Amino acid sequence: MVKDLYKRYGDKAVLRGVSFEVEKGKVKVIMGPSGTGKTTLLKCIDMLVKPDSGKIWLEDLELTDPRIDVSEARRKIGFVFQEFNLFHHLTAIKNVMIGLTKVKKLPRGEARAIAERSLLKVHIDRELWDKYPAQLSGGQKQRVAIARALAMEPMIMLYDEPTSALDPQLTREVLEVIKELAEDGMTSLIVTHEVGFASEVADEIMIMIDGRIVERGDPRSIIYDPRREETRKFFNKIMKIGDELR
Amino acid sequence: MNLMTFSKYLPYIFEGSLWSLGLVLGGLGIGFAIGVTFSLVQVYGNPLLRRLISFYVWFFRGTPLIVQLFLFHWSIFPALGINSTALTTSITVLGLRSGAYQSQIFRGAIGSIEENQMLAARALGMSNWDAISSIILPQALRIAIPQISNEYSVILKDSAICFILGIMELMTRAKYAAIATGIALIPYLIAGLIYLVLTYIGTMFFNLIYLKKRIPDSVEG
Repeated sequence: MVKDLYKRYGDKAVLRGVSFEVEKGKVKVIMGPSGTGKTTLLKCIDMLVKPDSGKIWLEDLELTDPRIDVSEARRKIGFVFQEFNLFHHLTAIKNVMIGLTKVKKLPRGEARAIAERSLLKVHIDRELWDKYPAQLSGGQKQRVAIARALAMEPMIMLYDEPTSALDPQLTREVLEVIKELAEDGMTSLIVTHEVGFASEVADEIMIMIDGRIVERGDPRSIIYDPRREETRKFFNKIMKIGDELR
Repeated sequence: MNLMTFSKYLPYIFEGSLWSLGLVLGGLGIGFAIGVTFSLVQVYGNPLLRRLISFYVWFFRGTPLIVQLFLFHWSIFPALGINSTALTTSITVLGLRSGAYQSQIFRGAIGSIEENQMLAARALGMSNWDAISSIILPQALRIAIPQISNEYSVILKDSAICFILGIMELMTRAKYAAIATGIALIPYLIAGLIYLVLTYIGTMFFNLIYLKKRIPDSVEG
């Protein structure tokens, strides 16, 4: 749950009072034009960027409380980056294992078993486990990155435009995985520009413009019957781009 | 006739190469420990420590080795009440000097790693130290191998200057053999050849590590 989040970079106010809640087992999607603070918002939730003011809770734990151990809290949040950010020097399976061995201090055997399960869940087959990130396709990299976050058994998964760096074909395989996880009950907060995917997966879509959530609601009404002019404009724009691509 | 007497000096000169190698490995090892530590402080440390290290690097890179050797052997160590042999002074000074260079090598290597690697490590819940030791350093060390190989070849040749303190390394022995036999060309030629061979073997060794540790199909690593 996020309450009244504010963040400025220099004299640019990036987040201007953002509040919302992601209930357990729900999937919320944030959409909006580029540069409106969506990435910053996710990074704030994982405390990778310190908000200027406002509060964030993970169930009963207040993440913004300066007395808590932030690294400890981050284990409970899975973060999937736009650029995958796999560790270059580690194979796929070791990328997934390292959080388990270094952070959770699990023995190697146990870590490996969990990593194998996570990789299978995102449809990364055995023959890819010992490949290095540079040897994988973009879609495979992103799925390994999802497995890496998943293996930590997070309470929530944050996806920051997980498919914007991928071409349409690879996009599908990644979105498919995210959707499966969501259907399994993984609490998720997803920033994406994929309208079709958002409408299928989201319990609620929030539209973020200029550091504020301007409109929210169930996918159908938000996409096809938005109340606000700026939301309408935004969807018109991205749908048009989508049409052109097709 | 002179050549016959000279041949007796060959094992004597060869033994010198072991001393040289000792200086190099000692210096490179100490330099590595200093270099890694200081580079981490320079990248992640507090401003005061960073300034101190900049000063250290500035001094050791900005003065000739021979000045540093004399300064430590005849002035700094005695003033500190340290009774240092020529060998320990030489290894220490080579190490301190190499540490200055190596810290800049590792600093550059760390700087070349994308910031997102650190971000991803923190997002997993790693402490800064975990992230540095298991994500940043393993990548930085790989990137630095070619330059460390270069540093090896530099310090090997630098080690010849330690003859000035009377260490029985390769250069010193070549000189003694030349004086004793009256032949200058051959001992120095042999010394030169041994330096070439040691450079070759060393760089081959680092190249081997580089190839072994290289991340498959990656561009830079």
